[in-house]
Amino acid sequence: MAPRPARAAAFGVVLPLLLALLAGGCGERPGAGAPVTLVFKHAKILGPADPVPGLLRRFEADHPGVRVQSEALTWSSDEQHQFYVINLEGGSPPFDVMMLDVIWVPEFARAGWIRDLTPSVAPAERDAHFPTAIAPAVQEGRLWALPWFMNVGLLYYRADLLAKYGFRAPETYDELIEQVRRIRAGERDPRLDGYLWQGKQYEGGMVNVLEALWANGARLLDEAGRPFPEPERARESLAFLRGLIESGVSPAWVTAADEELTRRPFGDGRAIFLRSWPYALDLFELPDSRVRGKVGVAPLPRLRHGPVGAASTGGAHLAVSARTRHPALAVELARFLTSESAQRAMTEGAALRPSRPALYRDPALVARDPSLPALHGLMLRGHPRPITPYYLMLSTTLQPEFSAALVGRKSPDRAMRDATAQIEHLLRSVEPVAKTPVARTPR
Amino acid sequence: MRAGRLRDGLVLLALGLYAAPFFWQALTSVRPDAELLPLTRLLPSHLTWAHYDVVFRQSLMPRALVNSLGIALLSTLLAVGLGALAAYALARLPVRGRGVILLAMIAATAFPQIATVSPLYLLMRALGLRDTWLALILANASFTLPLVIWLLAGFIREIPRALEEAAAVDGADRLASLRWVVLPLVAPGLASAALLAFLFSWNEFLFAYSFTASEASRTVPVALALFPGVFEVPWGDIAAASLLASLPPILIVVAFQRYLVRGLLAGALRE
Amino acid sequence: MSPAGGEEAKPQRELIHAPALRKSSSGRDTADRRLAWILLSPAIAILATLTVYPALWVLWLALQYRIPVFGISRWAGLDHFAFLAVDTRFWNAAWVTGLFTVASVALEGALGLAVAVALRGQRGGRRTALALLLLAWALPSVVTAKMFEWLYHPAGGLVNFLLGGRAINWLGDPDLALPSLILADVWRATPFVALLCYARLLTIAPELYEAARVDGAAGLQAFARITWPLVRPILLVTLLFRTLDALRAFDIMFVLTGGGPAGSTESLTVYAYRALFQTLQVGFGSAIGVVVFAVVMVVAAAYLRLIGRQEGTA
Repeated sequence: MAPRPARAAAFGVVLPLLLALLAGGCGERPGAGAPVTLVFKHAKILGPADPVPGLLRRFEADHPGVRVQSEALTWSSDEQHQFYVINLEGGSPPFDVMMLDVIWVPEFARAGWIRDLTPSVAPAERDAHFPTAIAPAVQEGRLWALPWFMNVGLLYYRADLLAKYGFRAPETYDELIEQVRRIRAGERDPRLDGYLWQGKQYEGGMVNVLEALWANGARLLDEAGRPFPEPERARESLAFLRGLIESGVSPAWVTAADEELTRRPFGDGRAIFLRSWPYALDLFELPDSRVRGKVGVAPLPRLRHGPVGAASTGGAHLAVSARTRHPALAVELARFLTSESAQRAMTEGAALRPSRPALYRDPALVARDPSLPALHGLMLRGHPRPITPYYLMLSTTLQPEFSAALVGRKSPDRAMRDATAQIEHLLRSVEPVAKTPVARTPR
Repeated sequence: MRAGRLRDGLVLLALGLYAAPFFWQALTSVRPDAELLPLTRLLPSHLTWAHYDVVFRQSLMPRALVNSLGIALLSTLLAVGLGALAAYALARLPVRGRGVILLAMIAATAFPQIATVSPLYLLMRALGLRDTWLALILANASFTLPLVIWLLAGFIREIPRALEEAAAVDGADRLASLRWVVLPLVAPGLASAALLAFLFSWNEFLFAYSFTASEASRTVPVALALFPGVFEVPWGDIAAASLLASLPPILIVVAFQRYLVRGLLAGALRE
Repeated sequence: MSPAGGEEAKPQRELIHAPALRKSSSGRDTADRRLAWILLSPAIAILATLTVYPALWVLWLALQYRIPVFGISRWAGLDHFAFLAVDTRFWNAAWVTGLFTVASVALEGALGLAVAVALRGQRGGRRTALALLLLAWALPSVVTAKMFEWLYHPAGGLVNFLLGGRAINWLGDPDLALPSLILADVWRATPFVALLCYARLLTIAPELYEAARVDGAAGLQAFARITWPLVRPILLVTLLFRTLDALRAFDIMFVLTGGGPAGSTESLTVYAYRALFQTLQVGFGSAIGVVVFAVVMVVAAAYLRLIGRQEGTA
């Protein structure tokens, strides 16, 4: 009696499990090819021409026996982050060089997922990039990633409309609001919006709020990691943003708008001012654009207590996986892709701006894109978002609070109070931000 | 009577309107891009297959469909394979604490997934199963297995003991009677249980979203949720992808309705 | 369609309350017990690993500060729960969850019953009717979410089109988002309620209605006196399922609105998910999950007591 039931049960059990295990095996990635293959993980580059394949072929030509395989990430920044976390955490990731949003570099460094590049990058090479691009990549004096391209927030304006009413680009937000009022009164176009910006509950919304804080001389965190060290000015900033919507200077839908949802109306000529990134300029200057030749670029205005041009910088960096099997080659690739010639190719081919100041004065590039010198100044004045491994945690925790203030569901005071409680709870779980945490050596 | 038929027709029309959101999505999937935003006319000027083309050639859906199919089939196999054996044991064999076991199983189906997802994530990570089929097959088992056991135990219970006793008289032992007497009789119930297990595995989202990271194991619901849009949301392509994602459920509802209904009723009507 | 209800329910009830087995020949009995153990153990092993073990583990995690990405792992005691008690975001999420659950379940119950009654008189085309009805229930939740997101689109959505082209931002307005969400969920879940009530209604002998009509009671009175008492138990069971599902609802909320705008549709599950996978706070997220767990168990227990009491009086 004994063997039969056991056998039957075994059959009933083992077969499904076997199939499942086989299937589990099927789920794995194919292995790398036989000569050295480096895998480069990056988001799809937008723009007229994708310069990356050409650059990779150049690298392969310079390094015989090496193949570089390029793999695309999903489009959304949040998903890219989730992809990286799942693959990097506790496993051997199947890529060697990866493109990171600048705000992730401290986090990845702290987690021990990326390689310390300090020994491989000479100080001269570091200094060839904007300081605001290098700063977020530095933790405890060590360099963890190289800047690949750079962004900065700026104010777009309809130069033709402003000129018509005798205005110059506004330096304060009060001026901006006044200009909006006068222009709209004069144009009498009900579909003409005033000032468009990104107020949706996502990282872009966070950027806009930070810029409003900085424009009023307020910070999110002080050096010790305590939130809202200038509470009155921060409150003013939030009230100002909410006021833009309540007064109608900005349409109500900006609280659900991201970059694309705001770029389009401005590009169709339906708004006077737009806060966005440099990529939009290329689209506005396309031959079939309705605002071609009518768009001006200026630093972000200031509020009462802050400076002009307090914009957020952004962009992407290239890092090398801590567990790569070809560290020297991978570092080479990263240095090549961020070199002057590569960044030049990227500026020519795509709607991207380099992280090297020298390129902004390069005659050939300026001839193609006359806005470069102006952007250079803006890049210098911008600053990065709080450089901490916990930035993403902070941002995702604060986004709902700020969103509630923008939408009018919470008063700025209440939003700040709740935000403070959330930040403090979060920081209780981690080390205080001031004590710059030691980046762990790769496991 | 004519009034009756008119009434029937009206009810059918009303239900057709109820399902209208789905038909609208189907229409959207063949509507040309230019007529999507803004919506100015109800019916499109002409039909286009461009969205399906994009979905098949440029999106992650084809691989996701393969993943989903494989994972759902294997999950069903696992649930029905183990579940049938366990159900037989609970329905027919002396089991101490049978009531407790059954109640525990029902309670397990009530566990909120959001509470178990973090330990399961850590477990999958520890076993190195992230981004694999096996992780999802196991995760699906956590809710399909109790359901299948519950359903099948009830169905087996309906079969008169006399049949098995007759088989015993003929010299068959428990397993033989399970194989030759019970299983054939409970086959429709098996079909119901398998259909439900497949449907729930196909539709599962939370675990799939949390445990997958790339197209190696990404299932259809996750691929749909992460549908890429370069500059703006491609509603037509998403509609096409949604239609593809709905094919197995539609098939089950239309072709296997009887089994589906039987399974739902048996599962719920246990007071 | 086979009549359901009493006959189907009986085997299950018998199953749980089966009397002790009579001892037959002890040899066969032992063999049976051993076989039972062999047949049961794989399933129990898998379930224990995948449900019981995580249920205990999540309780343990809820008492820790645990952020795997940074290697943070230390005791927190009841810190997370103490924070939740005063966290406005938590109470907002609890409010959203409660509102969503009550509204959805109430609407599903009423609408489901109405549909069941309407279907009961159906003679022809029953399969088609059921297919149209069950389609909404069988679709993957993500498909439903994307479907409604498109329907609710301010410029391209059918809803605004049918309302005469007004650009109402259903999902972007904090006051409209939750009702829009509830509507989507009701659409999805009503067929389940309708189906079960319909099955029950089919078992009510038509002679009862005949007799009632002879006595002069028709329409609403017949409903109140005959239909309602007979369908109420099954409706209650169905609403139990729906309540538990609504409390745990995640898919539609997450994909349709992501908890926005401004947290107006952020339920406890979405809050927990964000804490777990966006801010990677496994300890804190688990604490929220434990709260959801407790609420679900309490509600389930309450419902079961109610159903049990009803059965006692029925």
